[in-house]
Amino acid sequence: MLSHAEASEKFIANQERTDWHDDTLWFVRAKRDKASKLLPEWEALRNQASQIKEHILSNLPQYLLEFEANAQANGVQVHWAKDAHEHNEIVYSIIQKHGDKALVKSKSMLTEECHLNAYLEQKGIDVVDTDLGERIVQFRKEVPSHIVLPAIHLKKEDVGETFHQHLGTPKGNKDPQFLTEAARIHLREKFLGAKVAITGVNFAVAETGEFVVCTNEGNADMGAHLSDVHIACMGIEKIIPKRQDLGVFLRLLARSATGQLITTYSSHFAKPRDGQEMHIVLVDNGRSRQLARDEFRNSLKCIRCAACFNTCPVYRRSGGHSYHQPVAGPIGSILAPNFDKKANVDLPFASTLCGSCSNVCPVKINIHEQLWFWRQDLMKEGLAPAGKVFGMKLMAWLMSSPAVFRMAGGIGRKVMNWFPFLVNNGMNPWYKQREMPSPPKQSFQEWYKSNRS
Amino acid sequence: MSSREEIIKALQEVKVPAKAYPGAFTAQVIGDDILADFLHAMVVVSTTVIQVKEAADAAPALDKHFPNMQRVRLNPLADGLSLADIDVLEIDGDFGVAENGAIWLDDSTLPHRVAPFICQHLVIYLSQKNLLPTLQEAYIRLGDKQTGFGVFLSGPSKTADIEQSLVIGAHGARSLVVVLTEC
Repeated sequence: MLSHAEASEKFIANQERTDWHDDTLWFVRAKRDKASKLLPEWEALRNQASQIKEHILSNLPQYLLEFEANAQANGVQVHWAKDAHEHNEIVYSIIQKHGDKALVKSKSMLTEECHLNAYLEQKGIDVVDTDLGERIVQFRKEVPSHIVLPAIHLKKEDVGETFHQHLGTPKGNKDPQFLTEAARIHLREKFLGAKVAITGVNFAVAETGEFVVCTNEGNADMGAHLSDVHIACMGIEKIIPKRQDLGVFLRLLARSATGQLITTYSSHFAKPRDGQEMHIVLVDNGRSRQLARDEFRNSLKCIRCAACFNTCPVYRRSGGHSYHQPVAGPIGSILAPNFDKKANVDLPFASTLCGSCSNVCPVKINIHEQLWFWRQDLMKEGLAPAGKVFGMKLMAWLMSSPAVFRMAGGIGRKVMNWFPFLVNNGMNPWYKQREMPSPPKQSFQEWYKSNRS
Repeated sequence: MSSREEIIKALQEVKVPAKAYPGAFTAQVIGDDILADFLHAMVVVSTTVIQVKEAADAAPALDKHFPNMQRVRLNPLADGLSLADIDVLEIDGDFGVAENGAIWLDDSTLPHRVAPFICQHLVIYLSQKNLLPTLQEAYIRLGDKQTGFGVFLSGPSKTADIEQSLVIGAHGARSLVVVLTEC
């Protein structure tokens, strides 16, 4: 597996595309700014949302049990899964009971986290992702590069070619309107034929046992209402106490995500319709472990709006796939080490720690601070690459001794003056895509001594 | 021990400092003209509004808007699947939200849950008296109403998954017309 830096290098090799990616996500961020500024109570809403989420995290088992009891009273079957594997087994056993070989799935980052598609495909089940962006990446045997905009790494030419291969659209046609229509026709057929539908969950209300799914396309509803069996998969942190809290979260979610006032459909599922079966799978998969980590507990407040992706100067220029995780971006980089520290040791370093992520977060997660906490944790555990450890130690030694620091500065200036090729070459990462500055004649200290003392 | 017990036990073992529930949130009314805010939101979500005194007055405008198309009033007896072939489906909305153009529909007005999604074009009748300023008031209005399924619907279905180009008409209705009645 490529590290974040290695994968980013491939992504930025195409400068035009990198610029497009950067500008497009910044445009989404700007729409978020506009939408938030139009609400006078925006900051009060963020505070409220943050407090509700912190309250939930301090009472999680009680709320889960309350939700379970109310959902069961509504006629919904509730399942519990410790980890990804158990989640996949539960979903498969429900499908198997109905003897179906095909299912439609709307967007669920949890099922991506559990690698459900790969598991089911191994069992011979045909999984059809129905969110347009997800269907595109599924055709291409890729994974979503963004949790809200799954195909944001692709251009319309790419989608046109993919649809030409898989849906038989005319070669060279790259009109978004035409391609969306082709997908609508293709997926309607799938919706009308599927007996089992899987959806994610945006919010689950303990007080009522209902859960809310938000989409713009209407794919979750087409799948769920036409199926005989609806399976909703959710992480245990998606619980909220009361129905009235939806007012707070739904006002924040779409505005933070895309700058929309609200998603087209905010669907509230409480009871199965007559003759339908409804299942909810509650998944831990490391969340109880993250809850126990004081510094990282607040990452469980996340409502998956991706505002932190869109604002991040690193994400915008490195693309989602460089994070090699289902949830990329700043929030993904603090969730990932909880799953596997060693495999994700690079991610907390894929940040400038500028703090923009924390500023836009609708539930006020201290994202950039947690990135910095992870860096300390991973370094302490000796998981960082040897070069980074050596470099940090050298820097610490150098910076802790004024005499050494002065001497190193002097040598550095002389080297850059006399042997510029030693720094102006491809071995020096700072030289890539930029000219090295000409070295100053003296250090600030030397200048101060001769001018002010 | 079942997974359920294991998860609950693991969560109970974590000592998280107690944080109180902050209580209900009171929204600040954005503008004092709810109707104007709602009409503005309708423009933002690409929805056509027909303002009439009574529901029946909308017929000529709807005829003009949907020329030569079959319009069907949602009928509890109709088969949900056959709705896929309907050009234009007409239903009643419960109440609307001025800040975002969302209209509440639930099992009490929808004999078939799939109806507002599967039809090609959707018409919702809504009384101007049933407009609320923000989602917060909407949930107060909803209270503890028990409903098997309910949806806040705001505009026609859409996607921007191909290069961020907005396309109206993804999987759900291709267009939405709201008939706003005075009574």
